[in-house]
Amino acid sequence: MRYADFTPYDIVLLLQGLGVTLALFIGTTLIGLAIGLLLAVVHHYRIPGCRPVIVLVTEALKNSPVLVQLFLVFFGIPAFLHIRMTPVEAATLTISLNTAAFAFVVFRSGIESIDRDQIEAAKVFGLDRSQILRFVIAPQAAAFSVGPLVGILVNQLQVTSLISVIGVFDLTKIGNILNLRTLQPFIVWAVIGLIYYLAAKTLALAGSRVEAALRKSVKWGGI
Amino acid sequence: MIVAENVEKRFGDALVLKHVNLRVEPGEVVTILGASGSGKSTLIRCINGLEALSGGKITVDGHDVSTKAGLVAARRASATVFQLFNLYPHMTALRNITLAPIEVLKLPKAEAEARARALLEKVGLGAHADAYPQQLSGGQRQRVGICRALAMQPRYLLLDEVTSALDPEMTGDVLRILAELAADGTTMVFVTHEIEFARHISSRIVFLEQGELIVDLPTAQFFAEDGGLAVPRIRQFLSKMKKD
Ligand SMILES: Nc1ncnc2c1ncn2[C@@H]1O[C@H](COP(=O)(O)OP(=O)(O)OP(=O)(O)O)[C@@H](O)[C@H]1O
Ligand SMILES: [Mg+2]
Repeated sequence: MRYADFTPYDIVLLLQGLGVTLALFIGTTLIGLAIGLLLAVVHHYRIPGCRPVIVLVTEALKNSPVLVQLFLVFFGIPAFLHIRMTPVEAATLTISLNTAAFAFVVFRSGIESIDRDQIEAAKVFGLDRSQILRFVIAPQAAAFSVGPLVGILVNQLQVTSLISVIGVFDLTKIGNILNLRTLQPFIVWAVIGLIYYLAAKTLALAGSRVEAALRKSVKWGGI
Repeated sequence: MIVAENVEKRFGDALVLKHVNLRVEPGEVVTILGASGSGKSTLIRCINGLEALSGGKITVDGHDVSTKAGLVAARRASATVFQLFNLYPHMTALRNITLAPIEVLKLPKAEAEARARALLEKVGLGAHADAYPQQLSGGQRQRVGICRALAMQPRYLLLDEVTSALDPEMTGDVLRILAELAADGTTMVFVTHEIEFARHISSRIVFLEQGELIVDLPTAQFFAEDGGLAVPRIRQFLSKMKKD
């Protein structure tokens, strides 16, 4: 059995792992929010045939384990379609879609929280669909959505730790490596957990700042 | 001119408007009376295109509201004031009023705002331009709603029970403004339960009974013993309204 003490270089390893985790998190968040928003808009406009498909897919994504989704994407899709997929690609695809499913639900209820009456008013005053979306729906839906979205994203940050299983060198994978080398699981996993905690806290704090700013600029006593 | 010809509206199996014919000439104030559920709101919503017709035709200055281009043109010619105000809650009074003039009429912002401020001044809300709807009373909100409609410089104002969500004192404020508009020659289609007020400002009164427009008379004749009052249903309706 070869094992060794912690070295200063481990800090660099941890930072690299954190970097991979954050990059993947940020990337999948941006993609996921964009897709979620698109789905909510398509859903809102009742584009024929789209509603049931969107609801079915997002329901499936929300109600099945992310790890299973990850295996399906990483092992299942390449086998089925005879294509190659790197762990990072599979991780990006899976987490993005998963985030999209949760974001869709938030954006949809943000849109639905808006009184139909206002939209009717905007219509009779001659605003077209995209103007109504931009001036009436979006600002109110955004203020409504930020809080729940931050909650979801804090959770998705934790979920990214699953991608270590398919071999992405994220923070958790680095933890695994350090653990195997040092055989100090208590210290390793406590440190890894603390790093996740600090990242999540920072995210939550930033989120509540954004929310406060949005609500101030949208400033309405309604919700 | 607003022209409704043989207008029919169904909600599922229910026939809510039956062969309604109505003409509103520029300068007229036409009041629509009728019991609750008789189809007054539905008729207004057919004119401003919020409901699609099941039959017949409505044109506003010749623009057919059932065609896409016609509806756009018809909506530019008319403006609606709503019972529950339907203001945009995330916008100030000023922005509520200027949104459509800027985005739809493409007025320069400064001009739209100057106009909006003048309108707010006129309805006694000069000091409230930067207030959000929930910072205003119901009567004040409705006055903003009226300004929002007037800012479009519409040829026709459509008003559906614009005072029925207000208490009597606020109702007075709003009705005074409407009376001024009527005196200025603004064309209005007006749904109300305020019979006395309708009598005061209308040039014509039409009566809807279960989706049928059964009477269409100049105001004086509508209230005459040998005119509207000779119709038993209307006599009954008016005496019931007086009691309430
Ligand atoms: N969207 C809808 N779906 C189904 N039925 C409707 C709808 N809108 C109105 N109705 C029905 O159409 C009839 C006429 O309604 P409308 O709102 O036009 O009456 P109204 O004369 O404005 O009544 P009120 O004085 O109470 O406002 C009613 O029986 C109502 O239940
Ligand atoms: Mg009504």
